[in-house]
Amino acid sequence: MRHRRALELPLQKSAIVPAPQQAPAPRSGDLLRGIDGRADAPAPAQLWLAVHLAASPSQPERQDLERLGARAQRLTPCVSLDPPDSLLLEVKGSLHLFGGVEGVSREMAAECSRLRMRGTLAVAPTPLAALALARAGRAGVFQRGHLTCPRSGERPDRARREATSGRTWSPPRAFAKQGQRSEMSGPGALPPGMASGTASSEDALSGRSLLSSLIVTDPAQLIGKLSPLPLATLRWPPDALGRLARIGVRTIGEALRLPRAGFARRFGIAQLQTLDRLVGRASDLKDRFEVRARFRRRRELLYELESHAALLAVLEPLLGELGEFLRARQCGVLALECRLRHRTVPPTRCVLRLAAPVADPAQLAALLRERLSAVVLPEPVRACELRSGQLVSRVLASGGLWQPGERGGGVAAQAPDLIERLRSRLGAEAVYGLQAIEDHRPEAAWKRREVVIAMAAPAIRGGWENDPGRNAVNPSLEGFPGPFDRRPLWLLPVPRQLGERDGLPRRRGALRLLGEAERLETGWWDGGEIARDYYTAVDARGARLWVFREREPPHRWFLHGVFG
Amino acid sequence: MSRDLSGLLEHPAIWRGRSAARVRTLPTGFAALDAGLPGGGWPQSGLIEILPSCFGTGELSLLLPALAAVTRRPEARWCAWMAPPLQPFAPALAQRGVALERVLVVQPQREDAGEKYALWAFEQTLRSGACDVVLGWLRSALPRQIRRLHLAAERGAALGVLFRPPEAARDSSPAALRIALEPAARGARVTLLKSRGGARGAIELFWR
Repeated sequence: MRHRRALELPLQKSAIVPAPQQAPAPRSGDLLRGIDGRADAPAPAQLWLAVHLAASPSQPERQDLERLGARAQRLTPCVSLDPPDSLLLEVKGSLHLFGGVEGVSREMAAECSRLRMRGTLAVAPTPLAALALARAGRAGVFQRGHLTCPRSGERPDRARREATSGRTWSPPRAFAKQGQRSEMSGPGALPPGMASGTASSEDALSGRSLLSSLIVTDPAQLIGKLSPLPLATLRWPPDALGRLARIGVRTIGEALRLPRAGFARRFGIAQLQTLDRLVGRASDLKDRFEVRARFRRRRELLYELESHAALLAVLEPLLGELGEFLRARQCGVLALECRLRHRTVPPTRCVLRLAAPVADPAQLAALLRERLSAVVLPEPVRACELRSGQLVSRVLASGGLWQPGERGGGVAAQAPDLIERLRSRLGAEAVYGLQAIEDHRPEAAWKRREVVIAMAAPAIRGGWENDPGRNAVNPSLEGFPGPFDRRPLWLLPVPRQLGERDGLPRRRGALRLLGEAERLETGWWDGGEIARDYYTAVDARGARLWVFREREPPHRWFLHGVFG
Repeated sequence: MSRDLSGLLEHPAIWRGRSAARVRTLPTGFAALDAGLPGGGWPQSGLIEILPSCFGTGELSLLLPALAAVTRRPEARWCAWMAPPLQPFAPALAQRGVALERVLVVQPQREDAGEKYALWAFEQTLRSGACDVVLGWLRSALPRQIRRLHLAAERGAALGVLFRPPEAARDSSPAALRIALEPAARGARVTLLKSRGGARGAIELFWR
């Protein structure tokens, strides 16, 4: 998210903001600047479009909001979700692409109507102001790209006057098609200070009847437009709203006129910060919404299948769809799960893990064939489902001229093939890398590392075989002083208990201990507590071993490593 | 040797066993061993056998300087460990200079299938051309299988190292180099059992 320049607003000593008693009459150029290109007013640094979804017939769910957010990314990359029911878009950069504020709003309304969602749109220079305006506006019906609104909150005389001029919009303002009035939702809570009125028929005749929007593009007019809105649109906690209501403060304008210090003391600093963000005095950073794209397809089979070959034939079209899905996004998958559903037993899961992002359906099919051949089906399969793991962007590289092993041949390019072939035959866990961890306990000092070959850009650094995986964790312990000199090259997964005679350990005869003990202790922070004295020992056949003796009784001896 | 004779020996039609070993090699890190090996080090491609008298005699210490050098090259490929009998201990490897991000451990999970999978994976890894070095531990291997591994290693330009029990010294083997390893004071005694064009006999090494 970009930082937004705080808007310069005049400050008075005693008041939060010098709210004008009467909102200045909007000039025609200010609000329609995006449309007719006139630029009388200073351009705001940002312009936010808020979508407030109506709660009828039911409260929109997170999933709906994400779907709408994904579609809204067609209009601008800066989409932010405001759960439970609102969406924010920063549209300043998109105005010239979609025909101004009106065009963007119309496109957004069309997206809502495609998802059969109802709600209100508003545009303002700050995200909170846009949200407040949208919440104060009344639910309209999006239908086939047209947005209708039941009633205008505007006084009829003014609405008529502006409609006849055909240029000026003021919030809230309705443009409604006469024929769609019947589909309008019922009247919502009417904000105080906004007289109910009937939208004039001139609105519909004026030709700009597609959209109902609450639009403020001029920062100087923002406070004027916000002043009549009820404080409930800010969604403050009920007790703060109640206390404000008791002193007779019900609208944003009235709250803005209160003294800052007293306001913060009596109603909370958070509320004061909200007001600052609302009028643009403090910057308001929003988290950008990013679509989590996954591929998921399920196919019900007409009849139950038992043979692997038939299953693969069914899976191949699904893999083809996956390939198209990935190609369109220039992505690959690192993990792919195939679920085979049965009649009674739980589904069989078959997971492919890939060393490098793969998008080629043929390659995936070959790997899945290898993997499936190892799967024993408990029952015939009724349905199969393909789920991708997270998508990873891939850089397309051209193939090498030379065969692997030849001079300058694409040697490392073969590595993903090799690793995937090994994994598909031996299992995903059979192939792994190593990683050293800074821990004094031998068991905790290393772990398996997932082998992922990073697809670096090939041309820039002269071939990515230089650093496949090199940008991975690289704990260089070389030359690390001290105890690592006495670490064995082999570690037993679990220490093996040794026999004992006369206090000395035995393995194929008595062990000869070399040097002094090295004491490794504690590990209380993760439950793996140890207390051991480690020795280097040599057995009768000359192998050097790493053994330890427990510090706690019964002081048993264990073999833990071999120096090799 | 007179000058005439040496001039005669330079004739391309004359072929001598020792000079046939013109192979690209990797320095072993032990000067005494380098001197005894054909080409002055481990061959860069092909299969070699190491026969330690028992597990942990120092067969890994023998290879580690070369492994460290290979994995730290800018154009390094993988260094694969095929079916290691125990867990390679990452901090110790890193401390000896092995670049861990080039290490690939392949541990076939199916014990029941015996060495079939290990052999298959060993051959695939050698043949792929994606590895510089492949270390493999096999309990039993037939000469026919070793021959196959050797050809795969030459094709993939990889050094395959096969660790075998000492009893295998009695059998013949198509490997290019066979080394027996016995413990000695502060080091190990290396016996070259078979070395194409190299010296024969025992070499004493000292671990650093």
